[in-house]
Amino acid sequence: MHMPILELHNITKRFGALTALRDLSFHVNEGEVIGLLGDNGAGKSTAVNLISGIHKPSGGHLFVDGKQTLFSCRTDSAEAGIETIYQNTALVDSLSITRNIFMGRELCTHAGMLKLAEMREIAMQVLKSAVHISGIDSPDMLVGELSGGQKQAVAIARAVFFKRRILMLDEPTSALSVRETEALLNQVLKLKAENVSSVLVTHNLYHAYQVCDRFVIMSHGTKVFDVAKADTSISQLTEYVVLT
Amino acid sequence: MTAAPMLVQATAPHGRLRRQSPLMRLIGAPAGAILVAFILIQVLCIAYALIAPDEFRYLSSQNLTILMKAVPVLGCMALGVGVLMIAGEFDLSVGSVYALTAIVMAVQVGSGMSPFLAAPLAVLIGVAIGLLHGFITLRAALPSFIVTLGGLLFWRGAVLLYNGAVQVRFDPGPAFQGLFGGTFLGINAAFWWFLALSLAFYLLLHRHRFGNHVFATGGNRAAATAIGIDVNRVKMTAFAIAGGMAAFAGILATVRVGSVQPGQGTGLELQAIAACVIGGLSLTGGRGSVLGIFLGGMLIHTITNVLLLMRAPGFYLDMFIAVLIVGAAAFNSMIERKGRG
Repeated sequence: MHMPILELHNITKRFGALTALRDLSFHVNEGEVIGLLGDNGAGKSTAVNLISGIHKPSGGHLFVDGKQTLFSCRTDSAEAGIETIYQNTALVDSLSITRNIFMGRELCTHAGMLKLAEMREIAMQVLKSAVHISGIDSPDMLVGELSGGQKQAVAIARAVFFKRRILMLDEPTSALSVRETEALLNQVLKLKAENVSSVLVTHNLYHAYQVCDRFVIMSHGTKVFDVAKADTSISQLTEYVVLT
Repeated sequence: MTAAPMLVQATAPHGRLRRQSPLMRLIGAPAGAILVAFILIQVLCIAYALIAPDEFRYLSSQNLTILMKAVPVLGCMALGVGVLMIAGEFDLSVGSVYALTAIVMAVQVGSGMSPFLAAPLAVLIGVAIGLLHGFITLRAALPSFIVTLGGLLFWRGAVLLYNGAVQVRFDPGPAFQGLFGGTFLGINAAFWWFLALSLAFYLLLHRHRFGNHVFATGGNRAAATAIGIDVNRVKMTAFAIAGGMAAFAGILATVRVGSVQPGQGTGLELQAIAACVIGGLSLTGGRGSVLGIFLGGMLIHTITNVLLLMRAPGFYLDMFIAVLIVGAAAFNSMIERKGRG
């Protein structure tokens, strides 16, 4: 029996007069891939930002490992094991893959000098073993030289290395080619096999259906369906999203 | 669905990752183009100096001494301005800060203060002014270009308010003079300072955690914030460094000349930015290197020196530097676009 590692309970988020989320409740089990679906304006990105610590809830509670918590910034959510990967990944093009993987968590001496050789060695291992990114000769390559899919893979590599347990993927495939999308979805499945949970926000129901175990469908800031893959079909999902 | 085999196929090498020749890779690196240009110019100058040593005295000891004395002032200022530019901000006030802090130091020494106290005081004032600019820029969310443009005018006015439009003599005594204006192993002390500071900045920017955060802050502020870097603190520190280095450049210049003029340093801020741009620093932040800044400063003075040796009128220098800046900025922009794909 899987335990919920993340739980949203009656979460409400208001921006002035606008209520972006209203009593939103859902949970994510360990090693589970959730598809967070809905039309534009459904509140999916607000929910992601809230789980990532970018927004604070106006009401309701957030639980991680059964403990009530409140994230006031991205660092808080990262410390709780949550990594958010956006369409435009949070990487710096002018820095190497190694420096990006360790950005903000550099391996340093007491004087703050970087242990570059150690960082490089680890980055190489992570790239080889964790995400299998081909086309990358060395972790010294600048991120700006990589394709969209490879950047996503580096962002995931960073999450894997720092032992993140939940990946929030906000429209990760929208700027990717068909091959890169396939690679990304495979990575999500590989991480699931390693008990890493993912929340996939996407407009593409086929992508979601390919990898998700369960679907949370949102409309106008609230949850309208929460259905397991075994209990639905792609055509039913389409109906849920279109008709709500 | 199996994972690994599909991954290999799915992420096959991208077009942009095709093998490049070592020369093209060097030119594409942050200081690569300036390094190639600098070596070419040096080879040409040395060759011409060897062919016509009487007409073109580039390799004469007097000329090399002049060059070594001239480079550190601009070079030190450019190091500070460069760190700030990599962090994504500008400082147009450094020329005025350079003049103000030098005047304060000279006046204090003239009043009996030890130059070993007056010089650190000047650097502290530079740091404080940098912090003030940073505070206003970040607190009021204004472009640093505008805030430091105001600083340029304000601190230039403060020079006149403090001591009037008069030249101040600077006679610090032999120990201080030797430390900043003497000669060691045949090389001017100011140049040693420039070399030492360049090395220190190299370690800070390319080998220290702070440098990583400077590049991250300038390269992708949102990403840096998301990962937990305190971007405002990074920028404040960079502003302080720019102010402190402007003051230090003022110390070197004052020791060299033996006096301070109230109008000293006018236009130096633009030369410092020019040295950075020529050295491959991005105007939008996040890209650059200490080697590039070092070579950018060296190149400006090499060209100045060559034009002087060829007895060319002064306006040629301005025109040449202008072409160099625009060309370098266009080249940098092309490299960045290529990087973004």
